Parts: sequence; C-alpha cells; structure tokens
Amino acid sequence: MLQSKVAARVVGPLATRGYASVASSAPVVSTANGIKIAAVDGAPDSPLASISLVIKAGSRFETAETAGAAHYLKAFGFRNTQDRTSFRTIREAELNGATLTAEATRENITYRVQCFKEAVPYFVQVLAEVATATKFAEHEFRDVAKVVALESLSARSDPATLALGGVHQAAFRSGLGNSLYAPAASPVATGDAVRQYAQGALTGGRVAVVATGVDADTLAKLVGESGLAELPGAAAAETAGMAAAFTGGAQQVYESASPVAHYALAFGCEPRSAHALGSLLGTQRRLKWSGGVSALSRLAAAEGFRTEAFSFAYSDAGLVGVLVSAPSAQIKGAVEKVAATIQKDVAGAAPDAIQRAAAATAVDVADVLATQKGQLRALGAIALGQSAAALEAVDAAALASAAKTVFKSKPVAAAVGLSQTTAYVDTLGF
Amino acid sequence: MEAIARVVQNNGAFRAICRPLAGTWVKLSGYRRLGLRYDDLLREETPIIQEAIGRLSRQETDLRVYRQKCAFQLSLSHQELPRDQWTKAEDDYKYLQPLVDEVAAEHAERDAFNSMAAVRK
Repeated sequence: MLQSKVAARVVGPLATRGYASVASSAPVVSTANGIKIAAVDGAPDSPLASISLVIKAGSRFETAETAGAAHYLKAFGFRNTQDRTSFRTIREAELNGATLTAEATRENITYRVQCFKEAVPYFVQVLAEVATATKFAEHEFRDVAKVVALESLSARSDPATLALGGVHQAAFRSGLGNSLYAPAASPVATGDAVRQYAQGALTGGRVAVVATGVDADTLAKLVGESGLAELPGAAAAETAGMAAAFTGGAQQVYESASPVAHYALAFGCEPRSAHALGSLLGTQRRLKWSGGVSALSRLAAAEGFRTEAFSFAYSDAGLVGVLVSAPSAQIKGAVEKVAATIQKDVAGAAPDAIQRAAAATAVDVADVLATQKGQLRALGAIALGQSAAALEAVDAAALASAAKTVFKSKPVAAAVGLSQTTAYVDTLGF
Repeated sequence: MEAIARVVQNNGAFRAICRPLAGTWVKLSGYRRLGLRYDDLLREETPIIQEAIGRLSRQETDLRVYRQKCAFQLSLSHQELPRDQWTKAEDDYKYLQPLVDEVAAEHAERDAFNSMAAVRK
C-alpha cells in the first residue's frame, strides 16, 4: 500500500510530462539583443541541472569557402578562451562533477553542460565565454584538425553514416545536403577561418540558451550578465537561398568492395510527420525475440537481409526512409523488393499498422523527453523556432494520408557498394 | 624577487637614469650586428620555450631559423653584417616573449591545480 503510494508520487509527474507539456510550460523569453531563452524546472527533487547553448551555425549554413567550418567549430568547443584556458575549464568542470559536450547537427552547434544546480551561474559564464571569447589560436587549430580529421575519416569509413549523408546530398544538394564532417581537403585551414565562420553566425537572433532544472527568469538574468549580452542584436538574417528544397530522383554511389552492400532510400516529407512515417516503415525491434509484424520487417526476416528505418526533421524539410544492408550480390534484388513493399504495403497501410505507428511514435517521443538531453534538444528547437510543429501528437488520419503521398513520391538514394551490382533509384518504379 | 623587479621597473627616477643607458647597452651587446633579435637569444633548452617556439607561426619560425643560421655563419667566420643590414631597433620586437609568458602561465596554472588541497565545506 505504502509502496504503491510512493510509486504513484514518483511516477505521477513523469507520466504526465509529454512533448506538448514541455513546450507549453516553457515560454520562450527574448533578451534585449534577441537571444532566445527557455527553461523547464524539471523534477524539483533532483539536484541536477543542464544548460545548452545552441547556435544556428550547423553545416547547412556553410558555403563553398567555409565547407567543413561547422565541424571545426564544434571541435573548438571548450578550448582556450580570453579568460580561461581549456585546461582550467576542464579541471573546474571535473571539480564540479559536470559533463561538457559539444555537438554538431546540420542546423545547430550545441555546447551542453550537465551540472549541479548550484554551479549553474558559473557554467552559464563558461558557455558565454566559449561562444564569444574562444581564441581560435593557430597551435590549437593544429590539435583540433587532428580530431576533426579522425572523426571525418571514421565517418567516411562507416557505410551507414556515408549512406545517410549521401541521401541528404542527393535530396538537398547544398544547404542541408552539406556534409556534417569536414572534407579531407577543407578550405578551412586556419583558426582565423573558423573564427570568421563563428562570428558570422553569432548574432542574437541565431543563439538560444536553454536549460532544465533552472528557473527561466534566473537563466535570463544570468545570460544578461554574461558576455552574451554584448552580441550584436541583428535579426536572424539567413543567407538568401538557404531554404531547403527536396529534389527526388538523384542517387549517390560510393564505391566499396566490402562483401556487404548498403542502400539508403529516402523520401521527402513534412518535418512534422517525419518521425511517425519512420515508425510506419516499422523496422525497429520492440520485442526481444520478434522482428515485428510490419511488412518490411517480415520481408527482411524472410529474405535474410537487414532494413533499418530512419527519419530526419529539420526546420523546413523532413526526410524519411530505409537503409537496406545485404550481401553485395543480392543488394539489387533486396532493394527492389523493399521498394515494391513500400509502394504496396506501406503507402496503403492498414488501419492497424497506422495505429501501431502512432503508438510507437508517442512512446519514442515520451522516451526522449524523459531525459534531460532530450528535453534540452526539444527546448532548443522550440526556442529557435525549428521544429515546434514536430512536437504535436500524431493524428492517425493525417498519418495515413501522408503515407499515401510520401511513399508514392520520387525518392532519392545513396548506395555504398559496387556500381555494377547496386540498384538505381530510377528503375525502382516510383 | 619579482616584487623588487616590479618596484624598480615602475620607479620613475630609476627609469630616467636607465633609459639612456639601455640603447648603449643593446648596441654594445652586439647581437644586432649579426642580424639577430633579442628573443633569438632566449635559452631554448627548457620545456616552456620549446612549447612557445612550437606555437610560432610558420613564417616566424622560418625567419628565426634563417637569422640563427646567418648569425652562426658570421660568428664562425669572425665577421659582422654590413652596417645597413644590422637589425633595426623597430625590427627588434618581442615576437617570442608573449608566447613564453602564455606558456609559463599555463604551466603555473597546471601546477596550481595539481597541488590543490581539498577543503571540506
């Protein structure tokens, strides 16, 4: 009896917290120079807080002269600043028991800190210094370049990463099509080049500070006292021609003599329905000894290849699709069968499949939002106005009609394998 | 020791006496006649200065090596540069000292953190 009461008290607030409630309970405040601030108090008993500084400077904002700069900028996170050496930042973070993370997506560069609530003022200061006062010294650039080169090389040698980058490139060409990883011969070759890229992006309208476990007013006050208050407050002027446009029918081929070939097939969709459509493809394993009952997972289990659904939601575009892996000789047949199944069984999915996908999406979203990291991501997206639409609940009827149009449209593809044996997107019958 | 140095440096009267002598001192020490700069004479064989030299830009490093080679050759052959090729006062700026100071501060900081004592609150 007592146990169940305790359980109810602990589980209650968690169970009622959802994507929508995070969004509605976190009004976005703007500072004088346009920095967006949002925070949720989170669990009041928890001593932990987390803060993210999000800058709209991801790889989609790179031009031909700055290809790879976003990757370098991410790697420069928490390096020497005018006021603090990188050594000191790290040692003080260790003394505070904090975790420092830098992360790059196609849209944003995020510097994240997880720490105790008492240390929040200190770490807001650190994050402000990282954004506004990093030195980008030449000798540090040489170190950073080694890290960047390793990350790029391991991304290029991972076929799944390569294929997913390939479908972005085929679908969006420049902008969202830019690689997340710096190319081997990047035009960015000095610390100064990275500094210029960062300064170009650092205007109030392109920066958000979001936090969990902190009061929004306190956070706004701390940001106002930090170096971030001196950022120029220009409007979020994005370079012209940045709007993402999906172009179907293109295919990238990356030659690889590996015995296993990979093929990513992707469709353009609304960002708000991307995740649900990914669940509708239904390749995620949710029960231990079963591949699932969706058409694609049954096909893969019967034929002996692997399929994995993916979905990406950006501020103005979405991408949903499936990554097929099969022995090199069988990849063409596998892809043709997958394409036929998508056209027949996924585009015209039965009501129960739609219901399953909607439920799976709801679970995934709640699962992500149960973590501080997921909450910060959602808050950052809301604050910068990037994917607030994706946070709404999935409507089964809307999902069914979206599936009908999306999975009959012209897809893009990326193949990692031999050009002689792989499939080609224009022969798949879309 | 550093405190004394600071007092002496900031002492107006002392500076007024030393200023005129400084130029003569540099002239007599003769390194400018070999085309060197003052920072070329810093003792290289310490970890701090090695690190500082490593942080020089490529161009500064090349010029430094060239100056040292010239000076070495001149010293071997007991010669001096012709007067118009001596290092000019405006070229004799501190290109290495700021980096040495930066690295020294980093080493001091590292030592301070490594010998930190925990205080129970």
